Parts: sequence; C-alpha cells; structure tokens
Amino acid sequence: MSPTPSHPSRQQEFWSGVRQELPLQLGVAPFGLVFGVLGLAAGLTPLQTILMSSIVFGGASQVVLVQLWGSVPGPVVGASVSMINLRHALYSASVAPYLRALPLRWRIPLAYLLTDEAYAVTINRFRSDAPGPFQHYHLLGTGMLLWVCWQITTITGVVFGATIPAEWSLEFAIPLTFIAVVVPILRRRADFIACGTAAVISVIGQPLPWNSWIILAGIGGILAGWLTLHTAAGRSNA
Amino acid sequence: MIWWVMIFCGVVTFLTRFVMFSDMAPKKLPDWSEDVLSFVPVAVLTAIIVPSVLVGADNAIQVIDNARLPAAILAVLVAWLTRSVLATIGSGLAALWCLNWLIF
Repeated sequence: MSPTPSHPSRQQEFWSGVRQELPLQLGVAPFGLVFGVLGLAAGLTPLQTILMSSIVFGGASQVVLVQLWGSVPGPVVGASVSMINLRHALYSASVAPYLRALPLRWRIPLAYLLTDEAYAVTINRFRSDAPGPFQHYHLLGTGMLLWVCWQITTITGVVFGATIPAEWSLEFAIPLTFIAVVVPILRRRADFIACGTAAVISVIGQPLPWNSWIILAGIGGILAGWLTLHTAAGRSNA
Repeated sequence: MIWWVMIFCGVVTFLTRFVMFSDMAPKKLPDWSEDVLSFVPVAVLTAIIVPSVLVGADNAIQVIDNARLPAAILAVLVAWLTRSVLATIGSGLAALWCLNWLIF
C-alpha cells in the first residue's frame, strides 16, 4: 500500500459521472419529451408543466401526478406519488454512508439530484474499490447532466410536443427506462415474487377507482417479497 | 390547487431522497426496514411498467395485437443478458418500430 495513493481530482470525478450518465439519456430524453406532452394534455399550463420538472424532479412521480390530476382527489394524488417515491428512501440509505461527512450545502443539492438513473450509475462508483475524497463530485456530475437533460427535454416537449409523430411511440421510453432499472436488480427469489405480485395487482386492479392500483400493487409487491424472504429464511435457518 | 399538489409532491420527493442524509438519521436502518425497502423499487416500478405495456389507449388490457408486449419482452431479455441501459432502451424502441412497421 502506498501511503499517498493518487486519487481522481474533482474534475475527473465530475466528468466521469457525466460520461457514465450519458447513455441513460437515451431513455431520459424521450421520457422528458413525453412528460411535456402529458402535462399539457392533463390541462396544466406550459409554465406549470415546465416548473414541475424542477420542483418535483422525478420522472415517475411527475408522470403519475399528471396522469391522476383532474380525475382523482388531490390527497389521493399526493398519496400515490408518495408511494412511488418511497424507493428514494432506499437510495438515500444506500448512498448516505458515502456522503454523511459532507456539509449540508452538499447534502441538500445531492439529495435533490438523487434520481433512479443517477443512483444506478453513481452507486457503482461509490462501491468501487478505489474510494476518493472527491467522489461526491461523481454524483454531482450524473445528477446535473440528468437535470439539464430533463429540463431541456420537458421544455422541448411542451413547445414541440404537438409536432412529434405518434408513430414514434416515444411514450414507450417510459416503461423501457424502468425495465432497464428493474431487471438488473432482480436477484433473489423474493424479488421475482415481489415483481410478479405487483404486476398482477397492477393489471387486475385497473378498474379500481382513483387509480389506486398504484398504491395497492406497490404494497402488495413489497409484502409478497418480504413474506417470501422471511419464510425462505425461516426454512433455511431451521 | 395544482400548485399545492405540485409543491407537496416536490417536498415529499426531496424529503424521501434526503431522509438518510440528515444528521438525525440513524447510522444504519433497522434490518426489518432494510428488508422492506429492498422490495420497493421492484414493486413500485413493476407497477408502472406492466400497465404501460399492457393497457391501451382505451383503458382496456391488450395482449393480442399489442406490439408493445413483444417489444417489452425483448427489452427484458436484453436487460437480463447485457445489463446495459443503452441496449435495453435501444432494442425495445427498435423492436416496437419494426413491429409497427411490419405487422401492425
């Protein structure tokens, strides 16, 4: 072990974050365009749609919010978005050990930037075997690239959305982005059970009022996974 | 009203991302809550993915004559084999375009 190992500089960390985040923009860009279109279709003004992308800054949350807006009471919209958001607490817990020593002026913007796609890229950097004193710049890089792309594509969707041909099926980028996030994290048998349960409830729950299948499928999937894990653990530890 | 819902959702989104960065947060979550949370992304994102593939514009579940379904299955396989975001999204979109162009 050398006493002073060389580590990446602030700039190197930041730009490697940006570079590694770049491919994910293939999903983020159409997603942002579609969100711009959906916002207007839901009856929001262009200003409301554009500002939502920086006030909420969460693709799934924003899409669910505009899809429910107008047809569902406000508190149910809030509860559904909170359910969708719950996964961020997991990301928060997972990156917290790498960031806890930083001052609040770092932790607040980094929390704001902690999306699915930024987390998915940066956690690999944090868990690598070469920790660096400036590795938080990596999350800053992934987060900022995503933020800029999200704002630009939302505005583009609001302005030019009506001219995007329907045959491009850009809205399909939304499930594809989440497939790319979910499939690699399916590891345990319990994960597959959670996935299958959520899938079934989300389909058979379609006729339920207030789009409450979102909340029910989430809770059902979590419960099914948790029960599988615990009954399996009970058996193998016995 | 929309502004209030939007601000509420923005605050909730920020707080769920910040919760474990706070000085008041425990160093480590209790095991049971880590267990529960570990299923959240899979359960919640699956609940978004599946209806957006299966449910058509008329709010009915569509299995036959639905090009999104084979395209999504291909994307899942590609994601499984390559673990690459680029390949997953690229193959899914390309498959949908080809199917729409060829058959549907």
